[in-house]
Amino acid sequence: MKKQIIPILSSIVAVILMAGCGTATLSSSADSSSLSSQTAEPSQSPEDANKLNIYTSFYPMYDFTVKVGGDKVNVTNLVPAGTEPHDWEPSTTDLANLEKADVLVYSGAGMEHWVDKVVGSLTNKDLVTVEASKGITLQEGHHHDEEETDQDEDEHEEESAYDPHVWISIRNAKAEMENIKNALVQADPDNTAYYEENYAGYAKKFDELDQKFTDQLSALPNKTIVVAHEAFGYLCSDYGLTQMGIEGLSADSEPDPARMAEIIRFARDNNVKTIFFEELVSPKTAEAIASEIGVKTDMLNPLEGLTEEQLAAGEDYLSVMEKNLATLVASLKE
Amino acid sequence: MEIFEFAFMRKAFLVGILLAVIIPCIGVIVVFKRLSMIGDALSHTSLAGVAAGLIGNINPVVGAMIACTGAAFGIEAIRKKIPRYAEMSIAIMMSAGVGLAGILSGFVPNAAGFNSFLFGSIVAISDFELKLVVTVSIIVAGCFLLFYKELCYIAFDENSARLSGVPVDLVNFIFTLLTAVTVSVAARTVGALMVSSLMVVPVACSLQVAKSYRQTVCWSITFAVLSTGVGLFVAYYRGLKPGGTIVLTGVLLLFLLFFIKAVVKKFRRNASKMVGTQAT
Repeated sequence: MKKQIIPILSSIVAVILMAGCGTATLSSSADSSSLSSQTAEPSQSPEDANKLNIYTSFYPMYDFTVKVGGDKVNVTNLVPAGTEPHDWEPSTTDLANLEKADVLVYSGAGMEHWVDKVVGSLTNKDLVTVEASKGITLQEGHHHDEEETDQDEDEHEEESAYDPHVWISIRNAKAEMENIKNALVQADPDNTAYYEENYAGYAKKFDELDQKFTDQLSALPNKTIVVAHEAFGYLCSDYGLTQMGIEGLSADSEPDPARMAEIIRFARDNNVKTIFFEELVSPKTAEAIASEIGVKTDMLNPLEGLTEEQLAAGEDYLSVMEKNLATLVASLKE
Repeated sequence: MEIFEFAFMRKAFLVGILLAVIIPCIGVIVVFKRLSMIGDALSHTSLAGVAAGLIGNINPVVGAMIACTGAAFGIEAIRKKIPRYAEMSIAIMMSAGVGLAGILSGFVPNAAGFNSFLFGSIVAISDFELKLVVTVSIIVAGCFLLFYKELCYIAFDENSARLSGVPVDLVNFIFTLLTAVTVSVAARTVGALMVSSLMVVPVACSLQVAKSYRQTVCWSITFAVLSTGVGLFVAYYRGLKPGGTIVLTGVLLLFLLFFIKAVVKKFRRNASKMVGTQAT
């Protein structure tokens, strides 16, 4: 009997020891991830202690918050670089971090299906949550695919009545940035002037880019784009374009052949010259359709996330949108 | 016909039929060896290969093939250690593969690249994949015909095959290699779901009607081609996802065969009873 107990006991001890190692590596990996997003843990240096600790749901929220908060805040992006945010869920490390956070910024309108659940489960009562899309008029989603085979169908059903991709419109992006600014002012009134100044500076840049889009796109003869998933609805309605999505509002599912045939006919009839794919979604379906019609494919970024290379190259919302404009103009001018 | 107006549908039919011919050939042997789940295990392990490929900057398709081959030989090795529980070897390899893929995927620099290797779809096939499938199909079909007798022997009874002079180790080696290559290519092209089901479901259908090894092979191929063809038609005209439709068509076919068999059996029994009463 005793002999049998010893190996069991020793294995339990080993597991406990390993669990200790596990937490050590976990925290170090958290450090490196926050380093990569150019922030530091508040506990590490005393001068950071009075900075706001902000977590953002995915890239545009991160970018807008950094733009407004500048060096008065620590911002960490939850969805890692190069990951499609539609089906992302927070890990236990993320939840632990949120317990210590001051502000959580998310876009809302059904984009982050995990937010309600996560916020409800936190014990962090001081956490200020910001739904950046608040006050923006939402568009209804195009529901061509009722038979969409999503695992989280029930969660989706109530929310995907509205198109969550609000940030893709520059005007909405500015409104989201304003909501974020207001929340920062509320959470940290001492730096009100600083936040207001940053916001005003970027708001001007957003307006200029909006004007540039209007000028360049209104002159073009063709107004129809075929995209990987219907993420560009708000952009389209700003500038009088029409989008045709290979997939519906969410990005990942197997294409069905009837829909593909429909898009091919549509593209032929409307003289579409480019099939757009996205950086974070497989381009296979877009390529199959493009080779069918004999046109090219090009990348249009729905700004759901940037890759690490893009972040390292200093890309941001404005620069990516500039590129999108150039791509759109190149494809629609023919 | 409208459905063949599009190149992507013609490609889907070509690739679908090619795979529906070669995968059941492998499937028959695999089922007789009690390794039905091997398709699943290998396609999951190929994900680990894809992830390793993306991390190490090797072509992910090559990475998938290497991982699949390794896993297939791993299954063979474990199977020899515990011959009475052959299916355990698959469960072990599958856990190892999925676990490895899970860990490695955390290190993949760009998750989008990983995604595009995860999900194949029969209606979005590139020219490169088409060539790959055609090449693999020719090789597999050729080897299968070449080793037809040997494979049959081994499938039923490895020991007596060895005793009667069949080069069991060599044939097993080639077969394992073919299985690995087929699964890694097909999973990437049409998706893991279709591969693992084409390997087993048509064979199950065929076992309901076939009376010999040769018939089992022929019927398996027939049922696989039938369910792929019907599945693609239905998916196109009803606007359904093709992979799932093809798989479900196969399963429905199996149920239909069960049903027909039961009816025929009853009818025959009644008929023989009638004959019996008439005779007395």
